[in-house]
Amino acid sequence: MKKVLIIGGGGGGLITANHLDTNEYDVTVVDKSDLHFYQPWFLYIAFKGSKRKISRPIGSLVKPGVHFVQDEINTINLDERKVYGSKKGIYNYDYLVIATGTTPDPDSIPGLRQTYDEYGDYHTSVWNSAKLWSHISKFKGGTIAIGQASATCKCPPSLLEGAFLLEEHLRKVGLREKSKIVFFTPFPRAYSAEPMNHVVEPFVKERGIEVMPFFDVDTVDGANKTINSLEGDSLKYDLPIIVPPCKGPKIKIIPETVQDEDRFIKADKKYMKIVGYDDAFAVGDCNTLPTSKTGVTAHLEAMAVSEIIQGRYGEFDGRINCPFDTAYGKATFVIADYNNPVAPYPPTKVKHFMKMTMARIYWMTLMGTADPIFEQFFNYTRPEKLNKKYVISEQS
Amino acid sequence: MEGVKIIDSRGAACPGPITDLARAYRNSKVGDVFELWATDKGVRADTQAWATKTGNEITEVKEDPEKIVIRIKINKR
Ligand SMILES: Cc1cc2nc3c(=O)[nH]c(=O)nc-3n(C[C@H](O)[C@H](O)[C@H](O)COP(=O)(O)OP(=O)(O)OC[C@H]3O[C@@H](n4cnc5c(N)ncnc54)[C@H](O)[C@@H]3O)c2cc1C
Repeated sequence: MKKVLIIGGGGGGLITANHLDTNEYDVTVVDKSDLHFYQPWFLYIAFKGSKRKISRPIGSLVKPGVHFVQDEINTINLDERKVYGSKKGIYNYDYLVIATGTTPDPDSIPGLRQTYDEYGDYHTSVWNSAKLWSHISKFKGGTIAIGQASATCKCPPSLLEGAFLLEEHLRKVGLREKSKIVFFTPFPRAYSAEPMNHVVEPFVKERGIEVMPFFDVDTVDGANKTINSLEGDSLKYDLPIIVPPCKGPKIKIIPETVQDEDRFIKADKKYMKIVGYDDAFAVGDCNTLPTSKTGVTAHLEAMAVSEIIQGRYGEFDGRINCPFDTAYGKATFVIADYNNPVAPYPPTKVKHFMKMTMARIYWMTLMGTADPIFEQFFNYTRPEKLNKKYVISEQS
Repeated sequence: MEGVKIIDSRGAACPGPITDLARAYRNSKVGDVFELWATDKGVRADTQAWATKTGNEITEVKEDPEKIVIRIKINKR
């Protein structure tokens, strides 16, 4: 039996594992953590104080026949097909799938570590999100600076979703008039992709959220409560909400040329093969594909990789489908693929309901049991269709 | 002249080529030259706005059927 070794039991790793035929392949998932987290819910912990349980043991999320081992991988040798764990020794493989997600790196920006440790954020863990909520729930008014420290980040809409949910919260508790929300972003506008910005910018304006574009965090000065940008601007705050930069996995990979300067793993954009290798793949947030780092892309990449490993044709077309909570009970989706730009898809209550339903059926999606529903939805919302239906008129 | 750093953002629509440009800028020094390759139509205006904001210089813009190529000289970092 051919051995498939999957590093990472997040969405990408689990979906790959659960789509492989265990009668034909010996499949092992290795993760340093024994728990899998539904990360999109971090937003609702941080901005609404949600107490919902969002983790499950990885061992319970793999189908029968797939082995789960808890171990932290520290070295991968692609030439020798050997993987080194910190606890359980050496693993061999015929096929390797690296699906290790991103690693937050608050230490790469001077001053950010202290702020991150003190205030938390809404992107990196349940604990950090709960920490942020404890500050937000005690907040009495002043300036809140909210945004991503650098350009590479998971789930592009989630940054502005945070600002929207924060605004909704402050209004609800009667503090909106006493507070100023400044959303800083390395991009030219509130939402990076122009067509979607066109859709959400009116909400940003109407809700009085100030935007500081082209703002990449250079330093954080905790003593003077100021954030300084690479582009030369400064921003004073009373409450800082800063999502730290994302990097690739802290794993030594041989040859090191397969990782870029931020340790992301170079893979081809259709087949997710690690450059120069036919038996090794990088799936999900850990790779350099020119697409958003989201659960949906990890899912679709994983499905393609499982097909390729099993000798069938599989390809990822760059499809993104990020839910975007615009607050006050409405949401939209950011939809595009490699050949079609983001469509200006308007927010509705139904889409918000869909986002919330996704949170409920998420565990099923990891098993592959929800695949037919997704297929239908993805077909119905193909970006080329949406781009024909929703056109931005020149005057608007 | 030092080597030109190619930033290949072809196919990226969201968050788009500015992600790669901003990332390269963070790791750059004065005198570096980037060549940004993109297919996203908005890249021209966005890169122009970025260059104006950061005080860097666009030295050339070319377009062929496959890509838009923008050459940027880092004057300020
Ligand atoms: C606030 C927020 C909102 C989001 N909203 C959405 C959304 O609405 N829709 C959407 O599609 N996506 C969303 N995302 C993005 C989504 O959560 C990620 O893109 C997705 O989880 C990526 O899956 P992955 O398998 O690549 O990585 P992950 O799910 O991060 O899994 C990586 C796994 O690898 C393990 N690992 C790492 N290093 C090692 C090692 N050295 N050894 C062993 N194991 C290791 C980790 O423990 C982890 O379990 C959101 C993310 C955030 C933070």
